[in-house]
Amino acid sequence: MNMQSSRTKAPARATLIAGVCGAFFMSAMASASAETLTVWSGYPEMAPFYEHVAEGLKKKHPDLQVKVEAIALREHEKRVALGLSSGGSDITVIELAGSTATRYLENELLPKAPDDVASFVKDPQNFGTFFSDTASYDGTVYGMPLFRGQGALYYNTEMFAAAGLTEPPKTMDEYSEYASKLVQRDASGKATVSGWSMRLSGGGQGIAEKFWVNLHQYGGALLETDGHGKWKAGFANEAGRKTLKQYLDNIFVAKTVSPEMPADADAFERGQTAMFIRESWVIGDIAKKAPNLKYATAPLPKGSIGLPTNLYVAGEEGKTQIGWEFAKATNEPENLVWLLKNVGWLPNRSNVDYSSVTKEQPAFAAFVDYPKDYSFFTLPSIGPVEEILTRVAAQLVIAFGDASLAGDDAKIDAFLAKTADEVNTILTREGLLAK
Amino acid sequence: MTISSDHNAAEHGEGRSLRRKKQIVDVSIDVFLFVVSILMLLPLVFLVANAFKTPAEMLAWPPTIIPRDPTLENFSAVLGETPLLRWIGNSLSFAVMSMIAIVATSAIAGYIFGKFRFRSMNVIFALFLATAVVPFEVYMIPLYFQVKALGLLNSTWGLLIGYLVMSFGIFLIRQNVIHAVPDELLEAARIDGAGEFWIFLHIVLPLLRGPLGALSVLAFFQAWTAFAWPMIIATTQSSYTIEVGLALFQTGFTVDLGRLSAASATVLIPSILLFVILRRNFVQGVASTGMKE
Amino acid sequence: MMAILPTLAIFAYVRLYPIVDTLRLSFYKWDILSKRKPFIGLENFRELMGDHLFQSALINTTIIAFGVLIITIPAALVIAALIFYRTRSRLSGFYETAVFIPHVVSLVPAAMAWKWIFDARLGPLNAALSFFGVEPQAWLFDPVLSVICIIVLCSWQALGYAVLIYLVGFKNLPVSLYEAARLDGASGPQSFWHLSVPMLKPITLYVSVVTLISGFNVYAQAFILASDAQGAPGRQVRVLVLDMLENSFRNYRVGYAASEAVVLLAIVLLLTLVQFGLLREKGKA
Repeated sequence: MNMQSSRTKAPARATLIAGVCGAFFMSAMASASAETLTVWSGYPEMAPFYEHVAEGLKKKHPDLQVKVEAIALREHEKRVALGLSSGGSDITVIELAGSTATRYLENELLPKAPDDVASFVKDPQNFGTFFSDTASYDGTVYGMPLFRGQGALYYNTEMFAAAGLTEPPKTMDEYSEYASKLVQRDASGKATVSGWSMRLSGGGQGIAEKFWVNLHQYGGALLETDGHGKWKAGFANEAGRKTLKQYLDNIFVAKTVSPEMPADADAFERGQTAMFIRESWVIGDIAKKAPNLKYATAPLPKGSIGLPTNLYVAGEEGKTQIGWEFAKATNEPENLVWLLKNVGWLPNRSNVDYSSVTKEQPAFAAFVDYPKDYSFFTLPSIGPVEEILTRVAAQLVIAFGDASLAGDDAKIDAFLAKTADEVNTILTREGLLAK
Repeated sequence: MTISSDHNAAEHGEGRSLRRKKQIVDVSIDVFLFVVSILMLLPLVFLVANAFKTPAEMLAWPPTIIPRDPTLENFSAVLGETPLLRWIGNSLSFAVMSMIAIVATSAIAGYIFGKFRFRSMNVIFALFLATAVVPFEVYMIPLYFQVKALGLLNSTWGLLIGYLVMSFGIFLIRQNVIHAVPDELLEAARIDGAGEFWIFLHIVLPLLRGPLGALSVLAFFQAWTAFAWPMIIATTQSSYTIEVGLALFQTGFTVDLGRLSAASATVLIPSILLFVILRRNFVQGVASTGMKE
Repeated sequence: MMAILPTLAIFAYVRLYPIVDTLRLSFYKWDILSKRKPFIGLENFRELMGDHLFQSALINTTIIAFGVLIITIPAALVIAALIFYRTRSRLSGFYETAVFIPHVVSLVPAAMAWKWIFDARLGPLNAALSFFGVEPQAWLFDPVLSVICIIVLCSWQALGYAVLIYLVGFKNLPVSLYEAARLDGASGPQSFWHLSVPMLKPITLYVSVVTLISGFNVYAQAFILASDAQGAPGRQVRVLVLDMLENSFRNYRVGYAASEAVVLLAIVLLLTLVQFGLLREKGKA
């Protein structure tokens, strides 16, 4: 065994490594000692916005260190759950969808907002009741509304022109017709550019959320409430059948899209799909990654998801002052206009003049100037909502891969009934099932 | 690989033809093994090659193996935009500390189990061995809550909690103590009035250098490649280990394969080098895992 | 003597206690966020029985574990035999290193490399296939192919370890037996099949169980090949550890996840018992 050489070198190596490690610990400790505020976000593209707000706050608090930690949404939700249930952390401004926050509020894991914030939020001049309600629990304000996820159609105008289409589709039937006209195929007939990119694969709940958006156009909902805080599955019906059928027809009959085709904003930016439904942040993403893309947006046929995201403040009691100050600063008109212009998420505050941005970027029109009867839905504020969406998503992935479902209404109905049962079982387990 | 099989085709004779047959067999085995080796390495070669490709070439069809117009763009972008070096530092300190902890606990416990074989000790040792079959994944969730209670989340110490002891390490040292540390030597030292601790430090440890070296390399790589545990313990960007950092790097909205490859290559190359340097210790360590009866 | 106490304490704290706690939690409705964490007996296990996500995780994991086993063991045995045969060759060190490197490189970068290889649009695998006139496949999206992808990735990583252990086994085989066989006119492949394979049985058994157990713990590979990346996702192959982590850290149902862990533990114990049983049987025979 050639142990000799490694034996003599080991101490030197160990000293070197120990030195490197020591340096890392020192640097970690140094950064912890200054007055710091941590911002947790679930959207990496929001990081510049929070840094911008922090910059503005520096005038008043020159010593303040703001650490913005923006990571992927699922990981963000995980760290919030684990961080909040352990308590006693640093002062942290946490960005959370209203529906996700409820479970923390139910268990008293987030403090209520101070009076000045509460009255700011409750002022109907500032926020519509939908937004102030989602930032509240039992009538008490806990969060500062910030932005919302709202969907619209994005379409590639050059591809539309090439297919002889001048107007965006207005009904769900037209979506399918357009997809057939827009799809581009290679010599063997295989789609190379999808007509309408639908969310068909991936892990997690996104598939179910997107399904719900389409379902909404047909008048259905994944979850329906009885108005008394109880819920039940609402898709084992005609609306559900039409929605799923449209997916399956596009995949297996018209073959305008397939699970393995590049999808989402990525594909749209690279000209690999002609149209897709997504939130407003894509406008900012396109401006950054594909500034020359010719595209336009349009409202959806009937209405959209409206998913308000609020800021909450966690941390040692009595020390959260600075966190709330930060939350208030995000809602200053200058910052909100900056948010819309540079990031693209839609601010919720109403009495701010956004026209400088919306005039310059017509794509925002579909998100702000929607028809009078446009209807919004949001995710229910119940604990197991993510588990339900994840399970529905897992079922949908199976359906999207099952060619025998296409065109077979009885099989589609059976599939929907089975999935609805699964959802209702979870609701029963948590005592949330509506009769 | 350039041995030509027919350069001595003209030669005859029974023995020669036999030898020639053997040579052909040898060469074809060599060719086969060489191809297998290349296939095993190919994915890593691809990864490193991708790190040097431009975004346009990344999307080109058919894919290229060797970058047409190599760029360092990906590396500078990755090093500029992500705390890659910090993640490597986190992994490094975690792996080194885990290595020290495992070597220390294994040496002490292995020695005591090896030399003081009373009935009670044997029972405890059996317990150590029995838990060795329980996969870490089975009990990592309760362990997570223990770390949380200690307030050690997002720290190297928290990571370390999961990697303080290694049942196999204790077993390995115990076997070596039984076979390589003669009782007479210890007795002689005791008669000379040496303390137990002095004996352990100056007599036992030097005799165990080989297995301890193998164990260190094993422990280091075990922590270096850990994934599930750091994934739940480290949830802030600054506390990620390199594995977690890389895995989450790809979950942004849009994936940039070139940069991802550059980041991966930055990690891969040093760890392969380290492995090649320590190969003998490592092989010995791994080989000894197969030696349990 | 007393010096063992700190080690024992650490061991009890980081190993014994959490194992016992896993068992305990599996009988509770233990949700991270709720204040009430009631004892519910076997309710978690009853729910597991009817949980199709858990079932598909269990099935996928089992297929992956046995798939890796079936590929790795014969391949490792043959490769180890050939490397052993060519021990004197200058290249033998290279072979050993090349085969072993996938086992030591960080998992995530390696999985990334494979993710690109399997990529339906850009990957070299489909490029190679279309060169031979084979229709390109959606490797990471098809329900069957995506499982195969994970098996290939895991086998690639497991092979080096198995080869190494076999090499040790070959080195310990008595040379005289082979000499005798050769005098009796046995060819290389014959003595491999009739001598080496039977004599290496204990090692085969050991490597098989290790491979199976690590197969049952597969997680990172599935996570990387189809993680939540929204731009270019793949099909999520649900495996046990993934389902467990999702239940505890996404759905906050720690008790339920613990009951899954108990099932995993039961499987691993069963496999280990089978190994010991077979070894003992062999000892008697």
